Amino acid sequence: MKANMLICASLLAVSGFGQSKGYVPPRTSDGLPDLEGMWQPRANGAAYSILPHPGGFFLGAESKEGVVQGGVLPYQPWAAAQVKELTQHMEFDPTGHCHYEGIPHAMYFGFQIVETPKYIAVMHENMHAWRIIYMDGSPHPRDYSAWMGDSRGYWEGSTLVVDVADNNDKSVFDMAGHFHSDVLHVLERFIPVDANTMRYEATLDDPKVFTRPWKMGFPLKRAPKDYQFLESGCFEDERDQEHLVKGKAALPADHYKQ
Amino acid sequence: MRFGLMLAALSMVSAAAAQYTPPRTRDGTPDLQGIWETRNAAAFDVSEIADGHEIPYLPEALEREQKGNRVDPMAHCAMPGVPRINYLPFPFQIIQRPGLVIVLYEYLHNQRLIQTTPREHLEGIDLWMGDSVGHWEGDTLVVDVADLGDKTWLDSARHTHSDALHVIERYTRTGPDAIAYEAMLEDPKMYSKPWKISMTLHRNTQPGFELREQECTEGDNGRAIQPQYRPAPKGDPLEFIRTYPKSGGSK
Repeated sequence: MKANMLICASLLAVSGFGQSKGYVPPRTSDGLPDLEGMWQPRANGAAYSILPHPGGFFLGAESKEGVVQGGVLPYQPWAAAQVKELTQHMEFDPTGHCHYEGIPHAMYFGFQIVETPKYIAVMHENMHAWRIIYMDGSPHPRDYSAWMGDSRGYWEGSTLVVDVADNNDKSVFDMAGHFHSDVLHVLERFIPVDANTMRYEATLDDPKVFTRPWKMGFPLKRAPKDYQFLESGCFEDERDQEHLVKGKAALPADHYKQ
Repeated sequence: MRFGLMLAALSMVSAAAAQYTPPRTRDGTPDLQGIWETRNAAAFDVSEIADGHEIPYLPEALEREQKGNRVDPMAHCAMPGVPRINYLPFPFQIIQRPGLVIVLYEYLHNQRLIQTTPREHLEGIDLWMGDSVGHWEGDTLVVDVADLGDKTWLDSARHTHSDALHVIERYTRTGPDAIAYEAMLEDPKMYSKPWKISMTLHRNTQPGFELREQECTEGDNGRAIQPQYRPAPKGDPLEFIRTYPKSGGSK
């Protein structure tokens, strides 16, 4: 973990990523930088593909830039071949089966932050996912593996830094087949830019799949006042199943009939 | 006789609540924060924690229920609804911020964002977990839940409700590690009168205890993925049996 931090730090120094441009947010009643509230990314197409992509039914709106810094994912050769194959099989996308998105995938959608001195809770609208970011210096649990990983964080000035480990190898980065292994380690930064804007940045380190750590980032905007998240059940009689599950992943056609 | 005992028991709960003054959050509301869990078997049969252990079904509703769906929607990973989510054998965490009470449930990563500013319920929408609106009555958090739809069940024993279900929950701290939970269930399409469930929420006091991820989706073929094994919580695991009135028993 320390090595990861060092890698991240050197990447940050080179790129100027991860630095707040002097904006100091107000404080909560507990004296913490106030990032509380509902946040939404600008439509960036990341849920379809984190790389630049054309428009289309499954790829949504065109994205000329993508969200990956440099626009390239440093796959190892075997992984590059696998992602090519996965791109052809939308039915393997776990979110199509109502699974958790994982981090950073869950961050492409709206979420709400509340802060306490010991932990920060993030309620994601999509998939009714939530996570608690422990801020008490406690270590990641051992022998744990989760769709959303395990989040432990700390403050760096006004920037919230979150270290996400214990990820499983089932969550994916997008619908376009971009994937990772169970050693994925994500270092997220929530950087306040002004009263209604944050920059989200993540450094992703997965030596089983990639040749080097890489980064993504995009702006987050405060949701309008009186905005309220509604329930994202996802599970709705599984009407999507027949459209999404083909080939290997198929369940018997009568699986859920009573 | 049984009714008398129930009344006595209930007034004892009220007396205990009256004696205990809960600590306050920074914004002055009673502090309900922490990780809570139940120690009863209401998840299997909610009548265990119902007043008199009876559910006042309308005869036609009971008939409809008996002819209805026999597969628990939770077996297909559907969200459990309210109040069922509260007595599932999984812990949940309450977080309070000014004007907001958040409940994060370990079971199926459910969440409830309860605003404590009065407002009308949403119209024209059904939600698996309903629409929750809260307010404080003295030291009690009162949550009014509507828009629940008719898809969820109350327990594994196929006790059901209609889309007219209206639930009023009350959370009252009765001690450092206990919340008295009550819910009135009102559903004129289903029940002849409103009925009440009551149970204790126990604080999980294990040092370092944290909620873990629990997932259950169609991709899992309906099998819930349970969190890692945990030892039973401290306390009396047979509490629910011992609190039955002597003359009572199951219905």
